[in-house]
Amino acid sequence: MAARVVTVDRNQKASVLPILEGFGVTLKIFFDSLFRRRTSTIEFPEQKRNVSSRYRGIHVLTEREDGTPKCVACYMCATACPAECIYIEAGERPEKTIEKYPTRFEIDLLRCVYCGFCVDACPEEAIIMSRENDLVGTTRAELIIDRDRLMARSKLVEHGPGYRPADHDVRRPVRIAALERLKAEHGIVPGMPKKPAR
Amino acid sequence: MPKCTIDGKEIEVPTGTTVIRAAEELGVRIPRFCWHPDLTVDGNCRMCQVEVEKVPKLQIACNTQVTEGMVVHTRSPRAAEAQRTTLEFLLVNHPIDCPVCDQAGECYLQDQYMGHGLYGSKVELEDKVRKRKVVDLGPIMLDAERCVLCSRCLRFEREVTGTNLLEFVNRGDHTQISTFENGPITHEYAGNLADVCPVGALLSHDFRFKMRVWFLKEHESVCPGCSTGCNVSVDERDGEVQRLRPRRNVDVNKSWMCDPGRALYKQIGVTGRVSGARVRGAASWEGVSVAAALDRVASALKEKGAASVFLASPQGTNEDVFAFKALAQAVGGKLDFRVGDPQKKVGERIDHVLQRADRNPNTQGCLDQGVGRDGVDAILAACRAGAVEALVLQGPEILRVPEAVDAIAKVPFVAVMATHEGPELDRATVVLPAALWAEAEGTFTNFQRRVQRLKAAVPAPGDAQPRWELAAGVLVRLAQPLGAATAREVFALVAKATPDYASLDYRAIGSQGQALPSAEAAAPAQEARA
Repeated sequence: MAARVVTVDRNQKASVLPILEGFGVTLKIFFDSLFRRRTSTIEFPEQKRNVSSRYRGIHVLTEREDGTPKCVACYMCATACPAECIYIEAGERPEKTIEKYPTRFEIDLLRCVYCGFCVDACPEEAIIMSRENDLVGTTRAELIIDRDRLMARSKLVEHGPGYRPADHDVRRPVRIAALERLKAEHGIVPGMPKKPAR
Repeated sequence: MPKCTIDGKEIEVPTGTTVIRAAEELGVRIPRFCWHPDLTVDGNCRMCQVEVEKVPKLQIACNTQVTEGMVVHTRSPRAAEAQRTTLEFLLVNHPIDCPVCDQAGECYLQDQYMGHGLYGSKVELEDKVRKRKVVDLGPIMLDAERCVLCSRCLRFEREVTGTNLLEFVNRGDHTQISTFENGPITHEYAGNLADVCPVGALLSHDFRFKMRVWFLKEHESVCPGCSTGCNVSVDERDGEVQRLRPRRNVDVNKSWMCDPGRALYKQIGVTGRVSGARVRGAASWEGVSVAAALDRVASALKEKGAASVFLASPQGTNEDVFAFKALAQAVGGKLDFRVGDPQKKVGERIDHVLQRADRNPNTQGCLDQGVGRDGVDAILAACRAGAVEALVLQGPEILRVPEAVDAIAKVPFVAVMATHEGPELDRATVVLPAALWAEAEGTFTNFQRRVQRLKAAVPAPGDAQPRWELAAGVLVRLAQPLGAATAREVFALVAKATPDYASLDYRAIGSQGQALPSAEAAAPAQEARA
C-alpha cells in the first residue's frame, strides 16, 4: 500500500489547531475502518499479502516430465551457498544420458539466508524459489527439508513461483557480472553464434 | 648446460632437457594434455605449442630440447592463438557435461578453457559425434565422449604396468579408447589411469559421485600399505577422508600408487575403530578413561619389572617406536617387533611396479632403532614357560597369530594399543585406543632408508591418541618422562639416539623425505621397464 507523502512546515508557530487536525485524521481512519471496512491491515493467516514474483521464499526443486528431479547433483548451489545450508548426496541415475541425480538433497531452512545464490548457480533450472514465506515448525529437524518436500509442487500452485531464472538474466546478478567481465576483458559473448541467413 | 630464456626468465638446465620441463622448473605453466612428467613424450595433443625466436614455426614444448641461447615465449600472441585454436579443436566433440563429471575442478579442459580458450562454441550440441558413455571397466569408468585422445593411459599401460589393456579403436573423429571386448582393467594400478587422465574420460569407480573435488583439503602423507612408502595426499572434507591420491616423488613412487594402497582410506572412518580405553573387569570389559587405563598399565609394569615383554609394531611411526623403546628400557623387559618376520621381506617385491612383500610401512625404522632385540620366538617361549608376567603390545599383530595364542594365554597381564576392534582384542587385559597414520604426525622410514613425514589429516576418533603419546603417558607415571611433547620433539630424540639419523631435522625432511645412506645402493622403487 503506497504511503501518502506529507510535507510539514516546521517553522509555523505552535498552536492547538494542528493537534486537532491530527485528531481529525485519527478519527477519520477510525470511522472508516469501523463502518466502511477500509483497513490497512489484513487477516493473516487466512489472508495473505501479494508478494512480488521475484520474492525469495522457500525453495522448490523442479522436476522432469517423468516426475524425477531435474537436479543432476552438480553441487553448484552447495558451492555458492554462503550459509552452507545445502547438503547433497549424489547417486547413479538409471538412464545413462543423465547419469547423476541427488539421492539426498536437504536444505536447512534455519540456516538459509534466502539470498537466491543457489538459483543463480544452478545450470539446470532445477532449484527455484517459491513465494511461500511462513516457516513454522515445532522442532529444528522438521525445518531441514528433504528432497521430497522440496519437490512438492503444491507449494508453487498455492503461493506461486518466486525468484527463478525465467526472464533470462534480468534477475541474476551473479551471472550478469560474470558475463560482463567476460565481455569486457576478453570480448567474448558465450553461446551459439548466429547462423548466417540463407 | 645450455642456458635459455623462457618468458623473460633465464634458466640453465642439463643438456637434453625439454622446454616444458625447464618451464616447470621456472614455475611457468605451459598448457598440456598428453605430456606427463613420468611418461614418455608423445607430442600428440599440440596444446603446448610455444614460440621460439629464430624458429619459423611454433614448436611443441614437450618435445623441443633446450639449446644454448634459446628464447621461448609461451604467451606471445602467436603461441596463445595456437593454444586457443588447439583447445577449440580438442573440444569440438566434447559433451560439456561438467555438472555430472567427477573431473570438474581438476580438469585440464576446464583450466585451459579459462586460461587459454574463452571462445564461443561453433558446434551445436546436436552436431557433435556421440560416443560411448558410462562404460564400466571394473575399477574405472570410461566416458569416451570426454576423451581428448592424449594417449596418457595407453602409455601408462605400456610403460608402467606393461599390461597394454587400452588401445585406440576406430578412425578420425570416431576414434576412442577401449579395452579388448570392453573387459575390465585387471591389474592393481587401475587408479592411476584416473589420475593420468587429464579430463573426465577415465574416472575412479570408487570415488564416483562421492564428492566434488573443490570441497576437499589435501594433506601430505605416506601410504602405510607396504615398505615402499609411496607419497600420498590424503583428501579430506570435514574430518572425513574421501580418497588417497599419489603425490609425486621421483625417488620413491614417481606419480603412481597401487589400488590396495588407495583403498586404505576406508580404514580411517569411525566404524570399527577403538575410540576409548577399556580394562578387563571381573566379568566383562569396563570402559575407562585413557588416564585410568595408563595408570593400570603403569602399576602393572612397576610390579612386574623385568618380567615384562614389549612388542613394538612396524605399523607405528619412528616416534611411536622410539617412545615404546624408551618405555621398554625404563622397565627393563624384553623387546622385539618381528612378528611374522617382516625384516626378511622389507625389500622384496611382489610385482614389478611398486608393491613389496612387507606390508608394514616402518619395518626399516624399527630395524634402524634396534628394536629387533630379543627375538619373537624366544619371547613366546618365555611366555609358555610362565616367565612373562606382563606383555605390552604396540599393535595387535601377535594376537592374530594362531601359534601364539597359547603362549599369550599364559601371560596374566596383556596391554595392547589398537586402532581397530577385532576378536583378537579379547585376549588382552587392557586396550588402549591408538590413532591411525592419517591422524597423527610422524615419520616412516621406507625400505630405501628414506625418512618421510606424514601429517595429521583428520582428528582421531574419541579418546584415541598417537601411540607415542600413550607410551609417554606410561613413562610419566613411572616417573621417567620422555621429555618431549610433540612429534617433532620426539623426532629430535630419535635423531640423537639413532645412528645415521643425527643429520635429520624434522622440518627439513619436507614433503619429499630425506634419504639416509643405505647398505645397498638406494634402488629406485620402480623398476624401469625397457
